Amino acid sequence: MARGQGWKIGLILVATLGSLWFLWPTIRLWQMSPEDRDAFAQTDPKGWQQLQKKAMKLGLDLRGGMRVVLEVDKSELNPDEAKDAVERAKEILRNRVDEFGVTEPLIQIQGEDRIVVELAGITDVHRAEELIGRTAQLEFRLLESPEQAQLLLDRIDRTLEAVAGLDTTRRALPSDTGTGTDVLDELFGSDTGSTQARDTAETAPDPVSDSPQLATDAAGGRLPPQVPSERPLSSLLSPSAAGPGWIVESDDVPLVKVLLAREDVKRLIPADVEFAWGTRPEFVGSLETERLYLAKRQAEMTGNYLTDARPSFDQFRKPIVNFELTRDGGRTFGRLTGANIGKPLAIVLDGRVESAPEIQSRIRDRGQITLGGGTYDDANDLAIVLRAGALPAPVSIVESSVVGPSLGSDSIRRGVLSSLIGGASVVVIMLVYYQLSGLIANFGMMLNGLFLLGVMAILHATLTMPGIAGIILTLGMSVDANILIFERIREELRAGKTVRHAIDAGYSHALVAIVDSHVTTLITALALFLFGTGPVKGFAVTLFWGVLINLFTAVFVTRAVFDVRKGYAKLSI
Amino acid sequence: MSLRIVGDTNIDFLGKRRAAYVGAILVVLLGLVAVGILMTGGGNLSIQFVGGSQVEGHFAQAVDISEIREALSSAGLGDAEIVHLQGRRQEHSFLIRFKAEQMETTQRAQHVLAALAQFFPDNVFTREYVHDVGPAVGATLKQDTFKAIAISLIGILIYVAIRFDLRFGLTATLATFHDVMAVMAFTYLIGMQIDILVVSAILTVAGYSLTDKVVVYDRIRENLRKFQRKSDFLPGVNRSINEVLSRTIMTGMATLSVLVVMLFFAGPVLFDFSLVLLTGILVGTYSSCFVAAPIYVDWENRRPKRFKA
Repeated sequence: MARGQGWKIGLILVATLGSLWFLWPTIRLWQMSPEDRDAFAQTDPKGWQQLQKKAMKLGLDLRGGMRVVLEVDKSELNPDEAKDAVERAKEILRNRVDEFGVTEPLIQIQGEDRIVVELAGITDVHRAEELIGRTAQLEFRLLESPEQAQLLLDRIDRTLEAVAGLDTTRRALPSDTGTGTDVLDELFGSDTGSTQARDTAETAPDPVSDSPQLATDAAGGRLPPQVPSERPLSSLLSPSAAGPGWIVESDDVPLVKVLLAREDVKRLIPADVEFAWGTRPEFVGSLETERLYLAKRQAEMTGNYLTDARPSFDQFRKPIVNFELTRDGGRTFGRLTGANIGKPLAIVLDGRVESAPEIQSRIRDRGQITLGGGTYDDANDLAIVLRAGALPAPVSIVESSVVGPSLGSDSIRRGVLSSLIGGASVVVIMLVYYQLSGLIANFGMMLNGLFLLGVMAILHATLTMPGIAGIILTLGMSVDANILIFERIREELRAGKTVRHAIDAGYSHALVAIVDSHVTTLITALALFLFGTGPVKGFAVTLFWGVLINLFTAVFVTRAVFDVRKGYAKLSI
Repeated sequence: MSLRIVGDTNIDFLGKRRAAYVGAILVVLLGLVAVGILMTGGGNLSIQFVGGSQVEGHFAQAVDISEIREALSSAGLGDAEIVHLQGRRQEHSFLIRFKAEQMETTQRAQHVLAALAQFFPDNVFTREYVHDVGPAVGATLKQDTFKAIAISLIGILIYVAIRFDLRFGLTATLATFHDVMAVMAFTYLIGMQIDILVVSAILTVAGYSLTDKVVVYDRIRENLRKFQRKSDFLPGVNRSINEVLSRTIMTGMATLSVLVVMLFFAGPVLFDFSLVLLTGILVGTYSSCFVAAPIYVDWENRRPKRFKA
């Protein structure tokens, strides 16, 4: 060996061993069968966690799971709050997701107001989306007294009846069309026996131009045809036997919502109360219903004072959430409950009333939330979000994707297969065409692959399917540099140069073209890395590092090997 | 004696350049048309860019597309694009797709699954891949992709301008542009769905194509130093191309073999990606010999800079 070459071999050796060392956790993890993994997790949970942390991560397209992109709605926040709203939301989401028990969830901020959440192995999409997407703003509010509520209802009814009265399309049908009335009764039910309105657009004169008051009463326009002319709102509400508020049949819910959204109705509602719906539908017999309450707007206490929340069952085997409060919270809560014994306390979550149980005694620092018609899973999920805290602003899901696990493992298999076959074909081509020199080039290519994986392990990069494509592509392109060099060496040999000079000339002449060509690919890889997300980033990473490392292996490493054999008379190339 | 796939050739690359120019212009025009269509909202853009929903999966037993459409119609989703996926590992694989223009809200994928479960209670549909994209997210991705493309192009242009003189740089870039347009025309002709992976492949083609031109130009530049007379110019360039021919072919073969392997073995996820790269590299290799150098030669002949007559 020529003098002074030792350090080159040493450097290559260090790089090789280093790569292997960083890759070791990954190799160890991946060759463990599922049983081995379980056993390891049981006996050494801390070590297991460490191993997973150190090993290379697999992207969602290889593992299977779901990916959700949330957008934080900062419109209602003031500028100070808005600044770190997304950060805070991210932390709260992290806490919630941790509870879910996902291995290595990914939660990242994207852009100005988006958060990406990746949960590997999750199949219950609904539950995950619910857990992540709820704002979880908890409030304890008092309800309006039944007397006042009834008064308001009557006022609304009277206003709506006036509107209905002006509506000339709502006319009593002539009594000689007896069958018509019967049909109507059947369709709309005849509770009061009075005629229901029916749009007879063909014969009725234009109601808007007919009734000037109606036109200016753009506060709501005509009542929907299905709404009765007498007691328009009240007739859709039934008193609730088992508590405050009313029960509305689910079919009627859209109608009630339309009525409550009318401007003329909204004007009647006092400023300190608002109508609030129950969290989820309940079944009265076989009829699906929803609850409606008239609650005070004022939040007497919020979920900020919660220190803990746990799901459980009450004495009726109904799922509940037990919660604990801070000292301040306990004081406030004690005052609140003490002053309102016998009255209902609404537990409002994100503007919907979970339940409104009667305050039976003064409660200080522990309480329970009864779920309105929920399951134990609902209680558990509620406890999770309460513990993690409310999101500073509402979030909406703007993108969601789910990769089935079979697709994931399929992709891995194919990726590995393609890498092996692709690599093998390149090896064969180089061996056949360039013989022993081809072998050297192949050696460089394999080191290229090894170093690339090592760098990815160091960077904790995530391996995705396009990332595997990038690796395969790198292998194919890695020999390009060597081909450039070898063709040049062949030319020099043909021109009559000695082996030593041919090798020198080949490397020096080809170097310029090699560097140029690699830089252009590096630029595109960099651009893709900066602006790509997820899988594309994975591709950009492997391509970028693969090409960069190639500069080292194709030139430096192979040259070092050649230098060993410089003195030979003939070159197998 | 070493194996030589291409001996000392003396192909007259430049002689055929008229035909090459005609072909190049046609290809570029078609490519521009394809790009134009994509920009104005037509073409086959994936839901990643446009917004929408996509469900992929397979049934346990055979199903007719019309039955699926019936099932979806009953849930008000009859507008979907339904594709029977051939050649997948699972038989009876289907793709169901909505673009965002057809519906306003997101998360239709769950509705689709529910409708299928309801309509085919005995024929289990296993979902393999489900994706909902809100239109705002699609718009963001479009923007980001443009930025990536723009940065790539600018970066390459700057680098080429630094390393080569203006003429080399410009002609190389033109030839690369021709290659990218050829690939765009190809994807348009076969109706390939353009998603972010395909865009990545196209960008990689651009990088690779330029690499190829650079190698040829390096040799031309090196040889140019040797001859001074104008009459040597054309044959000199021709010879340069011939000299690098074996490198060009060998590199092409190595990369192509890897891509062909990916095409057959890497599965549906990477199929379009590999196809784009394959086409791009074939075109790139062709244009390095038949398009790039000729443009330079003709430009030099019209406006001689190197050789005063």
